[in-house]
Amino acid sequence: MKVVTGVVGNDIHVVANRLIDISLQARGFEVFNLGVNTSLEEFIDAVVETDADILLISSLNGEAEGWCRDLQFLRSEYNLREDVIFVIGGNLAVGEANQDDIIPKYRSYGFDLVFHQVDLNTGLDELERYVKERA
Amino acid sequence: MSKLLIDVGSTYFKVCQQSGINQYFRDFNKDIFDDLLNKCGDIFSNYAKEDIYICSSANGGLSTLIIGLTNSFSLKFAKNIAFNSGINIIDTILYHKIDEAKAPGELIDVVILVGGIDGIANVFDEKLFHFLRNVHYNNIVYVGTKQDAMFLSENIQELKVLGNIITEKLHVNGGELKEYLTNLYQADIVGKEDIKHLYAITANQIYSTPYIVNRSLPLIDANFDVVNPFIVVDIGGATTDIHYSRDLVRDNIVSESGFDRLVFKKLGVYKSRETLIFAAKNNEFVYELLAYLNVTENILEEESEKALRILMQLSIFLVLYKVSRLHPLYVTLHLEQLKTVVLTGGITKVLSYEEAESIMQFFYKKVLGLHAIPNIVMDYEYAIWTLGMQNDTASRS
Repeated sequence: MKVVTGVVGNDIHVVANRLIDISLQARGFEVFNLGVNTSLEEFIDAVVETDADILLISSLNGEAEGWCRDLQFLRSEYNLREDVIFVIGGNLAVGEANQDDIIPKYRSYGFDLVFHQVDLNTGLDELERYVKERA
Repeated sequence: MSKLLIDVGSTYFKVCQQSGINQYFRDFNKDIFDDLLNKCGDIFSNYAKEDIYICSSANGGLSTLIIGLTNSFSLKFAKNIAFNSGINIIDTILYHKIDEAKAPGELIDVVILVGGIDGIANVFDEKLFHFLRNVHYNNIVYVGTKQDAMFLSENIQELKVLGNIITEKLHVNGGELKEYLTNLYQADIVGKEDIKHLYAITANQIYSTPYIVNRSLPLIDANFDVVNPFIVVDIGGATTDIHYSRDLVRDNIVSESGFDRLVFKKLGVYKSRETLIFAAKNNEFVYELLAYLNVTENILEEESEKALRILMQLSIFLVLYKVSRLHPLYVTLHLEQLKTVVLTGGITKVLSYEEAESIMQFFYKKVLGLHAIPNIVMDYEYAIWTLGMQNDTASRS
């Protein structure tokens, strides 16, 4: 399966980005890594150009909150495939926030899976389970 | 024996010998060859055809329409390659909006189709053919996913298929398209009635001047006091070109060349004066700028030396404005990091250093909110193109 990944917004957490890339490849995914400092539109454009199955966005300093609100709009704008899976993970809030507030918020933005302060491998296990269930 | 270098501009001929550079104002009642022979015939007789090198910016360049899948990849990569090949982009169309897009009214020299990495299929469909039926074009080239090439070739007459410009890692691979566009440009120059006669005096390929200037940029510090990152603004009679260090751009394009260029076909001060004035009048800063220069709007209608100097200053302002963050149409340069601006072309014959400095101060203060401006270098002898030509002659010998 093809995965587009990268770090959204003005966020330069390159180590985390590299770890995600390596972990995805180790699990057999074909990875298109856009790196750090990536805009939401660039993510969507990469999904279109590669016909990717999964978009996995990471964010470590709460940048995602401002950058990911237009996901639904861009999805409809580009007429993306219905079965593309949208995933976001990392530290998704500025300051303190609990899962019960964060997860519904990002779901309302259009993400299928939301991992707030969840270990990388746990998140990827969950992603693989989700992919199997959807198949 | 030394070389003779000739630049055929839309307004001046520039002729460079070992003894220095001479400029000759063109006689527009004569064709280029007759005019050049009339003015410089004696000089030519001192050189063998093999030692005469010519470049020309008098043909104005080719036009293109680009149809691509996304802004961030296919359109961005194709635009970058087209600009660097000296092609003027008339319009770009996002494929998913092609139903709403309006076909350009003018004849397009080359249409570029692009989209998708290799391995994906069915990117393009019937909508494309429907749109293309309303476009008048001379050439059409496809540089997208391999899997759609056959389908498109079967449905678009004389479609040229080249390698995909988007690699499997979503990087740009511009080699084949750049070569194709450069060859088209060359063929256009050679095919121009006025230019093709020039082969009577040279045995060498005639290149476009923007191409030659771009080649000279890595050598520029040999002749000029230039600090990187820099831009070269070439304001001529028909076009205004800007050549810039790629250090000034933040994008996802990984390219081999350290310098890119943009050609603004309609921002010249002589042949495209009307479109320059139109662009100036539609700029949000124009009235402040005219007040800053102590003139009124009426100066734009005048035919005087002062009016020409104002137009030159306007074109410097407009070209910087068009690459600034206020005008995110094509390329945004981080002008706040700029160290040197080299001004070349007809502009150095008209504007003083102080006038150029004054307009830069206005731009930096008003648009960027900065008080410090980059160092300005005036190429009074228009020597930059000779660097590129000498580079060309050296690489051949």
